[in-house]
Amino acid sequence: MFDVPLNRLVPEYIKRFEPYIPSKPDPELMKMYKVGHLWRLNNNENPLGPPERSAKIIEQFPPIKTSIYPSGDSYYLRVKLAEKFGIDPDQIIFGNGANEAIAFVIKAFCQEGDNIVTADKTFAVYEWVAEFSGFEARLVPLKDFGFDAEGMLSRIDERTKILFVCNPNNPTGTYWDEPKLRRFLDTVAGRQIVVVDEAYCEFVEAPDYPDGMRLLKEYPNLVTFRTFSKMYGLAGLRIGYLAGSRDVVDVIRRTCVVYSVNTVAQDAALAAIGDDEHVSRTRSHVRAEKDYLLRELGGLGLETQAGEGCYVMIRLPFSDTLAYRQLMSKGVMVRTMTGFRFPNWIRVSIGVHEAMEAFVGGLTGIVRQREMAG
Amino acid sequence: MMDRQTDVALSVKTDMKFLPLVLSFAESSSRIFGLDDKDTLKLTLAAEEVFVYLCRMTGDPAPVTLTMTNGFYNAQLRFAFEGIDFDLRAFNLTADVPPDEEGLEEMGLLIASRSVDRMSIFHSAMEGTGFTLIKEKTYPEAQPWESAQPPAADGLSFGTPDVEDLKVLVRSIVGRYDPFIYPQDFRYPGKVVDMVESGEYKAITATDGKGRIAGGMIWRYSGSSMIECYGPYIFVKEGGEGIAERLVTGVIAAVARSEAVCLINRYATEDLPRGYFERLGTIDFIRDGEKRPWHFLFRQLREDPGCRVYAHAGMEEFLKDQYKRHFLAREIIPVRYEGERQNPHSVFGASFQHNQKLVVLKPLWDGADAGENLARHIDALRAEGIKNILLGIDLGHGWQARLYPVIEAGGFTASLIMPYRGKADLVFFTLRG
Repeated sequence: MFDVPLNRLVPEYIKRFEPYIPSKPDPELMKMYKVGHLWRLNNNENPLGPPERSAKIIEQFPPIKTSIYPSGDSYYLRVKLAEKFGIDPDQIIFGNGANEAIAFVIKAFCQEGDNIVTADKTFAVYEWVAEFSGFEARLVPLKDFGFDAEGMLSRIDERTKILFVCNPNNPTGTYWDEPKLRRFLDTVAGRQIVVVDEAYCEFVEAPDYPDGMRLLKEYPNLVTFRTFSKMYGLAGLRIGYLAGSRDVVDVIRRTCVVYSVNTVAQDAALAAIGDDEHVSRTRSHVRAEKDYLLRELGGLGLETQAGEGCYVMIRLPFSDTLAYRQLMSKGVMVRTMTGFRFPNWIRVSIGVHEAMEAFVGGLTGIVRQREMAG
Repeated sequence: MMDRQTDVALSVKTDMKFLPLVLSFAESSSRIFGLDDKDTLKLTLAAEEVFVYLCRMTGDPAPVTLTMTNGFYNAQLRFAFEGIDFDLRAFNLTADVPPDEEGLEEMGLLIASRSVDRMSIFHSAMEGTGFTLIKEKTYPEAQPWESAQPPAADGLSFGTPDVEDLKVLVRSIVGRYDPFIYPQDFRYPGKVVDMVESGEYKAITATDGKGRIAGGMIWRYSGSSMIECYGPYIFVKEGGEGIAERLVTGVIAAVARSEAVCLINRYATEDLPRGYFERLGTIDFIRDGEKRPWHFLFRQLREDPGCRVYAHAGMEEFLKDQYKRHFLAREIIPVRYEGERQNPHSVFGASFQHNQKLVVLKPLWDGADAGENLARHIDALRAEGIKNILLGIDLGHGWQARLYPVIEAGGFTASLIMPYRGKADLVFFTLRG
């Protein structure tokens, strides 16, 4: 047996990184926290699961198909989506989840010295991918929990390549309506790439919410992100996509990884497209459970922030990371908001009613206990 | 941030014929990196002690690389070995302890430690094995200061201070607060400025409409997994709560997406808003002959994924109590020595902070002589006038957890845990009496 000379082999900049440790699988967490059941309310997953047709595809997937490589560029999916949105299939690129699409875009347009502009309190991956790739992420504070268009525009300089807007925003649920998004795009006037992340668009019921796909025709610098992980309940299969003008997408395609979307994911996503009944069932579930949750939280006197999307933010009078541990010990998993720069806030995803009751019960117990302890 | 000059390095063998070269390297590089004559001499003397000691301890000459790093407010001299083919025992402070107590002061490494501000011994797969000597530059002491007109509590702007505002912040802290609730660095505003320039410290201030500093906080990276913050320091007469909260949330927001897992605060003021930190525990700290409670506060920056920790039966109760109190999910794996073969010699690393009369010991290498070795360290440190002796073990390493009976017999008591400070949680022990 010999010692590996890590001191010599590992580059200095890698020594400085802490490894990212994703959360353990549920059975391990349940053992660790000594609970018999775990309600997962941390990842904004669809509690109703995938659409029925997709579920059937997954259930009946022939094992022999796993020995054959998938379509390298998700061909049939692109064709079907293009038909749905009235665009060309070559305007779409699929990735192993929308996170991969974020990396494709940044890699395609940024080089040393460039920067991206986004909000300080939004989905972290835009900032992470930029920073890890050595590009500056210019962060603009939210205004009334929403993206600040003027603030973002004021941070643009000649090295700004991409503007990321999360619409609706994760975690605050705020959104830009169509006039606001148009004004922003008109002001940018094609000088930078504007990415509008619409991961939660299918949950939005507000009539003035803009459809990024429709705007592609008018704004060739617009790139939209969508995913099958949220509304379509395929998070475990990792499948998302981006769409933009042909010229822009042609550039992005040069950086993207082919064959990164597996066959089951492609087939299940294909079956999900156009299932409006699933969307409407999910929306009405989210609406009802969100109402229930906000009512209960109001009773506890806690500040909340809820907009569009399948999640609600709650401000606690104590540390969110402590709340996470306490709720885990009651079998409920939520998302702490420190990492989103909202210290002492948690975000709870809308789950099945039993899960929402477990969360409300658990949180009530914790809050009351703290009140009693003074 | 200042332009960091390239490190300079010298590779030699632990052979006395290289001593003049080592001295010349230490002296010249100290000067190049900004130490004055007095500090250069001290670091050179420390380098001499360490090198002579190593020549004596290694037997056959072994390759060693000296690296001098410009720390802006200090010069850091590192002695590193790549492959160790001599007895690791040499890395104990007390390896050349003479049999009689009176000879304690003659130990080479202790002599070296006296000449520098910080000295530590490292040994890990990633870092290699060796010594680090840190000599800080000399700065003028702060003149305590308080604004003639108190700052206003409204119309504040929050942000990173410039050099002059940073100095005002530091002088105001020194002028207003008990020295126990700020780190000793704050006694020297110029040093804090250099530490901020070097990226080691970061600061946030609240400034009123007339440019007066109404409050501030400072924080620093302590390894890659932990960030330590100080304050909040508030200088308004009324309405400080809102300022304190914005400062605390500002610090948390600034570090929220860093690599760090935890934010600790060992220098909290009464203005610290409730609900942002949890109390880990308290250590009795001795300063100027007075025992003061030293509170350790923390908050996690990420969701706790739970982990496995190794524990000797003797400390299981303490750990269970701590984990229950902090709702930390831990699987405790029992460990004990069961007659297996051991290395004959153990190694303890020691990190000195002379200005605080503080030494933190940590086991670096397991060995059959751990009990005697630890006792020798305690004797030597006490003879050196060190009042605060702590010992930390990483519960992610079974062999460290197995040392509990030795630590307990050495007079230490488990005081607090620091989640994820090492491979798993770190337990800090304090020396009784």
